[in-house]
Amino acid sequence: MKHGMASRSAVLIFTLPAILLFTVFVMYPLAQTFYRSFFDWDGLTPGTFIFLDNFKEILHDPIFYTSLYNGLFFAVILTIFQFVLGSFLAFALYDHKIFGKKLLRISYFIPVILSVTVVCQLWMSIYSSQYGLLNKIFESIGISYRQDWLSDSHLAIFAVISVAGWQSMGFMFALIYTAIKSVPEHYFEAAKLEGATKFQIHTKITIPLLAETYRMCLMFSVVGGLNAYGQVVLMTNGGPGTSTATLTFAMFRSAYSLDRFGYGCATAVMLVLECLICILIINKLVARERITF
Amino acid sequence: MRKTRRFKVSNPILKLFLWLYMCISLYPLVYLIFYSLKTNDEIFNTNPFGIPTSFQWDNYVRAVHAFDVLLYMKNSAFVSVISVAGILLFSLTFAYASARMEWRLRKLASTYMIVGLFVPGATTLIPLAILLKHLHLINTFGALIIPYIAGNLSFSILIFYGFFRTIPKEMEESAFIDGAGIYRTFARIILPLVIPAFTVVLILSFIGVWNEFTIANTFISSQKLKTLPIGLIFFSGTHFTDWGAMGASLVIASIPVIVIYVLFSEQIERALTVGSAVK
Repeated sequence: MKHGMASRSAVLIFTLPAILLFTVFVMYPLAQTFYRSFFDWDGLTPGTFIFLDNFKEILHDPIFYTSLYNGLFFAVILTIFQFVLGSFLAFALYDHKIFGKKLLRISYFIPVILSVTVVCQLWMSIYSSQYGLLNKIFESIGISYRQDWLSDSHLAIFAVISVAGWQSMGFMFALIYTAIKSVPEHYFEAAKLEGATKFQIHTKITIPLLAETYRMCLMFSVVGGLNAYGQVVLMTNGGPGTSTATLTFAMFRSAYSLDRFGYGCATAVMLVLECLICILIINKLVARERITF
Repeated sequence: MRKTRRFKVSNPILKLFLWLYMCISLYPLVYLIFYSLKTNDEIFNTNPFGIPTSFQWDNYVRAVHAFDVLLYMKNSAFVSVISVAGILLFSLTFAYASARMEWRLRKLASTYMIVGLFVPGATTLIPLAILLKHLHLINTFGALIIPYIAGNLSFSILIFYGFFRTIPKEMEESAFIDGAGIYRTFARIILPLVIPAFTVVLILSFIGVWNEFTIANTFISSQKLKTLPIGLIFFSGTHFTDWGAMGASLVIASIPVIVIYVLFSEQIERALTVGSAVK
């Protein structure tokens, strides 16, 4: 490619807008988050440099531990839910000659494309203690079990995670399903001739071949769970108490309710570190070799 | 031998489960559509589960008139169209330059842009809020459009970049030999070829921007500028009682993305394969 195409002006015109926008509105704020985590700062004044004091305080802050625990809990439950169900549905749909395959696929995916607000408002009406669908179902089958789903400090986090799981399961399903479909049929031929069962074929051949897809799904769902925010703000606002607060939620609370922007940045740094650690662990756990068919 | 011929198995319990999960996935939405057409009395007491006995289209009229749904929709449409146009323009040009042109720092620049995929969006929001305030953009559409474009570049560049690498370079070379300039070649040769990736980025970024909640919730408080995801917050601590109109608003807000999804479900599925192949 030694034509005149690499002219300097063309390169600049093609690349600069993207680089500038990305630098100013993503990377610069990210760097600021790290820098400002060393400050006692209210967002208005220049702030005072206090080095690691924010972090020392975080390590003694019960809300930090609650949020950290809730975020991890959120990530773990969400991941298990999506993985087990997503894989199960994907494999079952792939293996069966079933009427309406496309309809099933579309219906699993539809919650994914809805706005988090629509989904949360809908589920709040379902969870509503007085008029909600869920309690009505219990009522109609004659069980007196009724719950104020979102106001119970033990149930609330499950209620919120279920909504997140309900909404995003379709995404994991679609990723796994498309990956299974892209495995060439001849990979299974030998095993079939040897008389292997469906279950053996999937556990011994298909799932190992999908390592790359599973690694990606794992990152999406773990990082997604740790960063849970929309559902929490919309459905419980962190409550009751702090029983559904996550780190993102704690970050916003420090910055906007307490005017402690520096402390909020320090919380954000902890979140970034937590995500990085999880990504590193996932990469260590799941084989990294690229498999090409 | 019979086993190998009929490889697709048939297990009725599994089939039943597939249909059952379809109900779990769809029934809440059906419930929503039903109650958007019911009176409160029906929703709360007489008929919570089933088809409305008489369709209360009045709920939809109230959603439009009393709850400003059309205003939010207009705002969402404006913000989404401008953002998606910006995402497409900047990511397409960058990906083209990084996949097809020779320049120093090319590798470094591409890696730098892709790093954005691993930045959890919310962690940049506090400094971003201060930056937007200094630029006098808080409570303007700029506070949404600019972060939406910047935040979606990494993923879109990744998709375009992967796509460019599948197009043979001879396509442009012949154009250069014929004496066409770089911009002309880009417009005449490259753009038509890139349409499949273009559609994928268009759909995914449109759905993402249309539904974006966190940034809008943080930077927009003016009633006039609210987009759908923040305009539709009805239940928030207080007891909200006009369920019919609320349901109608939620249904109206979801129609655009559902229509787009059903029209383009094939492309979205392909997009997922593309996305997983390049990562």
